[in-house]
Amino acid sequence: MKDETCTHSWEMMNVQPGFIITENCFRCDMISTYFSLEERPPLEEYREGDHFWNVMGSAQSIRFDLKCSKCSYLMTFEELCGLMMCTGCDEKCKIYKLMKEYEKERTWVYVAFGYLPIEGRKKLSPEKILALEQYFNQRRKSSTSKIKIVSDELVDNIRNCYAELIRDIDMISLKPPENK
Amino acid sequence: MKLQEVIDKLSLKALTDVEDRNVSGVHISDMLSEVMSSAQSENLWLTIQTHKNIVSAANLIDISAVIVTNGKIVPEDTIELANRYHVNILSYPEPAFKLVSKLIEAGIQ
Repeated sequence: MKDETCTHSWEMMNVQPGFIITENCFRCDMISTYFSLEERPPLEEYREGDHFWNVMGSAQSIRFDLKCSKCSYLMTFEELCGLMMCTGCDEKCKIYKLMKEYEKERTWVYVAFGYLPIEGRKKLSPEKILALEQYFNQRRKSSTSKIKIVSDELVDNIRNCYAELIRDIDMISLKPPENK
Repeated sequence: MKLQEVIDKLSLKALTDVEDRNVSGVHISDMLSEVMSSAQSENLWLTIQTHKNIVSAANLIDISAVIVTNGKIVPEDTIELANRYHVNILSYPEPAFKLVSKLIEAGIQ
């Protein structure tokens, strides 16, 4: 039961490693993402209604929940695909404008991304976005900077966005250190 | 301990402008998702990852400095982004294991 008067102190709970799978329908060109808990990322193409999904790529990531250590309220984040730091690739994007405004006060803007396609997927509520922001700011100790987390609805065009989600990309292309 | 003191004691090479910070503890990982869940604010983060996403993860968790070990070359776009977000990136020519022993000798637990 949620205590409305509690000033939550969040802890990360139920951390599950898995893969963010990105797939593309070759008939309609739609891009879809989902979180897989399987040990190996699925590679098979499959049909789902009118869509023929082909895997475009996968990256290791985590899924987690937040729990308040004061009132024990558990907030789940099954709608969260990942967090992305704005790199300022598009001056017309609302996120870029926010980033410019907040960087004066050393506050860094991160976008909380849901799964694709954005239409038809469950959205992260403003309450959940606020909890994420509180959690990452509560983890900071002496830093003079802060984190601001915003909804992916503010991104003008996701297909043109050059920023990347925090996930484990390029892991299999990492070169082992050379013997000295 | 302050970051500048660590840099001086261990002769680490700064790849970005250095903003002096408190240092407490060390986290060793090449997985960004693991850093996001387990690293602590003010940690030194030892990795061989050089992708610009290390800046996003380090900034989110409030890492004191990312130390790229094994003398791996860090791409220019990673350094540019780190400077913009005041994330310290340092370089160490030897493997993480050697650096860890020196960090312990220097008093970082």
